[in-house]
Amino acid sequence: MSDTPTVLEQKPASSQWYLIGITKGLVITFSHLIKNIFNKKQMMTINYPEEKYDYSSRFKGNHILTVKKDGAIRCTACMLCATNCPAECIKITASEHPNPEVEKYPISYEIDMLRCVFCGYCEEACPVDAIRLGPEWQTPGLNGADFTYDIKHLAYRANLKGGVQSVVDDKERLKAGI
Amino acid sequence: MPKCTINGVELEVKDGTTIIQAMYDNHQKIAHYCWHPGLSIAGVCRLCMVEIEGNPRLQIACNTVVTEGMKINNTSLKVQEAVKWGLDFHLINHPLDCPICDQAGECGLQDQYMDFGQYTSEMAEPKQKKRKVVDLGPTIVLDSERCILCSRCVRFTDEVSKTNELGIFNRGDHAEIGTHDGKKLDNNYSLNTVDICPVGALTSKDFRFKQRAWYLKDSETICNGCSTGCNVKVYFNKEGLFRVKPTYNPEVNGYWMCDEGRNVYKFANKEYRQSQTLQLSQGVWKQLENPGKAAKDLADVLSKVNSSELALVMTGQQTNEEYQSILNVFVNNFKNKNVYHWNSHAATADQFDGLLIRGDKNPNTKGLQNALSSFGIATKWSDLENGIKQNTIKTLIVVGPENVGVYNDLQEKFEQFSNVKNLIVLTTSNVVKFEGFKNLSLATIIPMKTFVEKTGSFTNYAGKVQKFKRATTIMSTALTLDEFASLISGQDLQINPVPIQDLFVADNTPVDQVRLDHRKKNEFLFTKG
Ligand code: SF4
Ligand code: SF4
Ligand code: SF4
Ligand code: SF4
Ligand code: FES
Repeated sequence: MSDTPTVLEQKPASSQWYLIGITKGLVITFSHLIKNIFNKKQMMTINYPEEKYDYSSRFKGNHILTVKKDGAIRCTACMLCATNCPAECIKITASEHPNPEVEKYPISYEIDMLRCVFCGYCEEACPVDAIRLGPEWQTPGLNGADFTYDIKHLAYRANLKGGVQSVVDDKERLKAGI
Repeated sequence: MPKCTINGVELEVKDGTTIIQAMYDNHQKIAHYCWHPGLSIAGVCRLCMVEIEGNPRLQIACNTVVTEGMKINNTSLKVQEAVKWGLDFHLINHPLDCPICDQAGECGLQDQYMDFGQYTSEMAEPKQKKRKVVDLGPTIVLDSERCILCSRCVRFTDEVSKTNELGIFNRGDHAEIGTHDGKKLDNNYSLNTVDICPVGALTSKDFRFKQRAWYLKDSETICNGCSTGCNVKVYFNKEGLFRVKPTYNPEVNGYWMCDEGRNVYKFANKEYRQSQTLQLSQGVWKQLENPGKAAKDLADVLSKVNSSELALVMTGQQTNEEYQSILNVFVNNFKNKNVYHWNSHAATADQFDGLLIRGDKNPNTKGLQNALSSFGIATKWSDLENGIKQNTIKTLIVVGPENVGVYNDLQEKFEQFSNVKNLIVLTTSNVVKFEGFKNLSLATIIPMKTFVEKTGSFTNYAGKVQKFKRATTIMSTALTLDEFASLISGQDLQINPVPIQDLFVADNTPVDQVRLDHRKKNEFLFTKG
């Protein structure tokens, strides 16, 4: 066996004296225990689900479809996100918008969250900052719950408070003549 | 026959050939917008620049005729720079709204930019705004901002459709495509302008926003809209078919096709298709398991039917091969020559608009006529009508039309057929409402495949036999007439599975180093020391 090539570290014989290691480990455990007893604020763990941890806004969690200043959906239904999505979980139906300045918009936009791998490629592909991966990470549901999120959920769910505004604004762009 | 050298390749071309034509025929890449092989030369886009040895200035390839000993290239730095900055001029006022532009993915600007451009815009001035989403007519929407004024569409309405609806109005950067006041772009060939528009300025109302171009596959086939038999491409994906475009065939349709033919894909899509095998007996409609079994069961029924009481009705919408096999079964197995040709367009068959459209809306009338006469069948439609009335025809098999949009007498004819004792309908479409027929007592409806789902050939008005191959499958359970013919003759369908070795080509990828027994033991190539 010993002449077989290996990528594992060969431990010296002294490592067989495990009592030293165990003692070291226990010192760490107890020092944390004592620290946490006397300084609760510094404690690393929280009482989930009563307490929740807020991730940074850069966390790649559940998708948000952004809105324009007037509250309408920002997405132009270009389908670049759907094209880029490696899990093929975005389904968009485009339609003609009554306002010729908008021209094209999605009448349905669905993401199958159970297939999504949260890679963020959709966010990267979008030319108008219409889709973002938000900091929301909990996606609980009862048995049989529907994890195919539609526009109503993606853009206007209650905790978005009327929608997240996109940074790309067509009106400003048109005024600047770009 | 002048000889010339283009990009180092020696060519001999016909007298009067332009440089671009010579390059096009030899599959050499050259940037161009305004030149189209089917239209006159305009020379307005200035993109087809070439360098000719001995000529200090670049020339446009589309309007320069090849002369003896010309040495031409379009790969030198000088040409590349000219094309690049020519493209920049085209894009000065271009909105670049590719995300919402239907042309994206097959756009001349995008292609040429990737091939020859790749610059950063030098423009500081704001862009000139023009009209967007202009309703040009019943079929087409115009976006003036995207137009590069190549004038292909104007030349098309001038030279090909000869309707002269389009023109270029205003001057300078205000110039735009339009129609005269109150006029519409409305002719039988209008959608060709969408095909030839190199950018997304002209878009088809029917196809607009339905799909992105890169989600579609294409396959060449023959239009089944009329007896001209234009060569077309159908575009489809797993959701169905989405559009039809012409392909070049100098002997049949040139570069064009008519607007009516653009609709033929609709009747092959799921919405219009008969999906179930249905049987009516004792007043109840019952859904049968599958059409193959239904056809097989018919074999017994038909073999017991008295030959003189059995008849077959066919339209000019199936393939030549299918006609052969069904007629073969009828004439040789059933010893029956009661085959009738249902042609709703017999009266208008000779109409022709001078370009492509013919009055006979069946792609294969000629093929059916040839097949019938080769089996020595000559019947009159009135015999069938009398036979149904006098109850001498008791079992009737009807092979319905595929392109149901052109059969105005569909409901009426089927009402007539419903008077027989046993009606067997082979149909692709679900538009006929059989429930309303009071006299119908025993009926079987079998779903069939359409022209995009089978391989075969059509014979057009001039007797030209054109082959086409299967594009896709929309209704997988449906039968072809071939299959139906062998099933009713009592044979089983032959399925010839391709051996797996022929499907996959062996390659040289090294075999996986991690073997199954490693995986089982959760142990990989390294072992613990
Ligand atoms: S995060 Fe990735 S997998 Fe999920 S929808 Fe976006 S592109 Fe698709
Ligand atoms: S979310 Fe962005 S990338 Fe996706 S369709 Fe809408 S605009 Fe296009
Ligand atoms: S015409 Fe071409 S470059 Fe212009 S917006 Fe459409 S796809 Fe983009
Ligand atoms: S609409 Fe299209 S075909 Fe017509 S001039 Fe403009 S770019 Fe050319
Ligand atoms: S193709 Fe020659 S100038 Fe346009």
